[in-house]
Amino acid sequence: MSDHEGSGPDDDVDDADLDDADLDADEREDADAVATAEPVLDTAMAGADERPHLSRVERQATPYTESQVIMATVKVVSPFVFTYGLFITFHGGGSPGGGFQGGAIMAAVVFMIAFAFGIDATRQWLANAAVVALAVGGTLAFAGIGLATMALGGAFLQYELLPIPKPVTYGMEGVEILGIAAIVSGVLMGLFFLLAVGFDRGDGAAVTDGGRDRDGGHDRDGDRSADAADAADAADHAAAGGDGEGGAAHATATDHGGNR
Amino acid sequence: MTGAAPLPAPVVAEITAIEASLFVFVVVTAIVTALARDVLAAVIVFGAYSLGMAALYTFYRAPDVAMTEAAISAGVTTILLLLTLAKTTRIDHEIAFESVNWPAAGVVGLLFTGMLLVIPEIPAVGDPDAPVWSNPDVTGYYIANTYADTGVENAVMAVLAAYRGFDTFGEAVVVLAAGIAALIVLHREVFA
Amino acid sequence: MSVVDATVVAGYTVGDFLLAASAGFVLLALGMLYRAVKGPTMQDRVLAVNVLGTNTVVILAMLGAALSEPTFLDIALIYALLNFLMAIAISKFTVERGGVL
Repeated sequence: MSDHEGSGPDDDVDDADLDDADLDADEREDADAVATAEPVLDTAMAGADERPHLSRVERQATPYTESQVIMATVKVVSPFVFTYGLFITFHGGGSPGGGFQGGAIMAAVVFMIAFAFGIDATRQWLANAAVVALAVGGTLAFAGIGLATMALGGAFLQYELLPIPKPVTYGMEGVEILGIAAIVSGVLMGLFFLLAVGFDRGDGAAVTDGGRDRDGGHDRDGDRSADAADAADAADHAAAGGDGEGGAAHATATDHGGNR
Repeated sequence: MTGAAPLPAPVVAEITAIEASLFVFVVVTAIVTALARDVLAAVIVFGAYSLGMAALYTFYRAPDVAMTEAAISAGVTTILLLLTLAKTTRIDHEIAFESVNWPAAGVVGLLFTGMLLVIPEIPAVGDPDAPVWSNPDVTGYYIANTYADTGVENAVMAVLAAYRGFDTFGEAVVVLAAGIAALIVLHREVFA
Repeated sequence: MSVVDATVVAGYTVGDFLLAASAGFVLLALGMLYRAVKGPTMQDRVLAVNVLGTNTVVILAMLGAALSEPTFLDIALIYALLNFLMAIAISKFTVERGGVL
């Protein structure tokens, strides 16, 4: 995330968080132009600043392009989508739905955030441990509820034996919520991040040819695979890895943007 | 919920216009998905196919299936396919559609004809005498006893989580196994 | 029993009109499909699928009213939410063919 083309001098900007903190660092020059053109309040200017950059070819050559429209909309929409996913999951007993559908919708919230704020940033925000805990923990919870009834002398998932009030209803809800919803959302998030990274041949270079038809595509791929290799300490590592393979290409890409 | 009383016949007669339009929509999208030369176009049209299919399921009072189709097929699958496409190169095509492989089309046509011949034997939509409704041991039991047995109103969920809970456990493990298989195929050790 | 069953004209109820209107919207969806298939640019397809999704939300809402099935609205909501997701995914994908995702 930290070392895309176009931000060549600003390689040390650390933006692993979901904020757009590096916007002004990235786009200093044009921000000045806009600021002189229309002197407005700082808060209002933040929105006006990015507009010219979206049309800049240089910005389009970076692996992740911020879109103010998408980011603002996702900020508003995603809490509602997440709540709706929870509703579908928890209310599966009284209306259509259940853990499978609700889990898919909750995973879709993560997709939404990833598309708006960058897949790599979302990957670092949502640690691998969380994804694995959802997927494996869900399976273990499902199996645990089933095996608990066997330990109590019944059959697999014989809910009547659970020592809780309304054992059948709440046992089923437990299976749907703790089991199926967690498994589905965890696995879908995992598949999303896996496919976003691509195929790893073992030498840290993901096979990514996306955008070969445009110039500036090759060095971007180099950067992205370096990011993918060490998602954990991308801040330092990716810069080094990017230099090894695409350091020269880096400079050319920046030139490209400048010339156009 | 889905175990509601069968549709009265007049309703079935009234709704055929929507039904027919939806069928045309679904069939056209399916054919275009199969024949589109550009993969991205195929993915987009496949998303439209899922939209139509889910509307059809909704129409036939299968809201749980429609929800799954909408959430998984229209939402998640399209995005996963797009992510995969982002890793591929694009070949610019002058032609929009594949040329039809006529022997393959013939085989598909034969299969289609065979399925058409079976259709008259299938009970009509909402037919109260259809075996799936009139079966007192399975469907009838679920509809009659779901609430008394489990305390939930959605018979589909009761079947999934209680009556056929072990099957669902197998499905859940399959989903987990799919995630692990993706890890193995992509030579990765962590999801995120 | 409700406003859906009220007779409007010549024996046709509000529900009948809602059903007819949803059939019309499905026909509109076919027109949208032409744009999604024909292209010529990806932006056309993105917009076409987005309009298709919105169209489906309207169809489902009207069907839910006409057939007195309030649970259809749940599905319409899922549509609306995931249609938004599809739209931003495809539109971001069309820039540099996924290079900016």
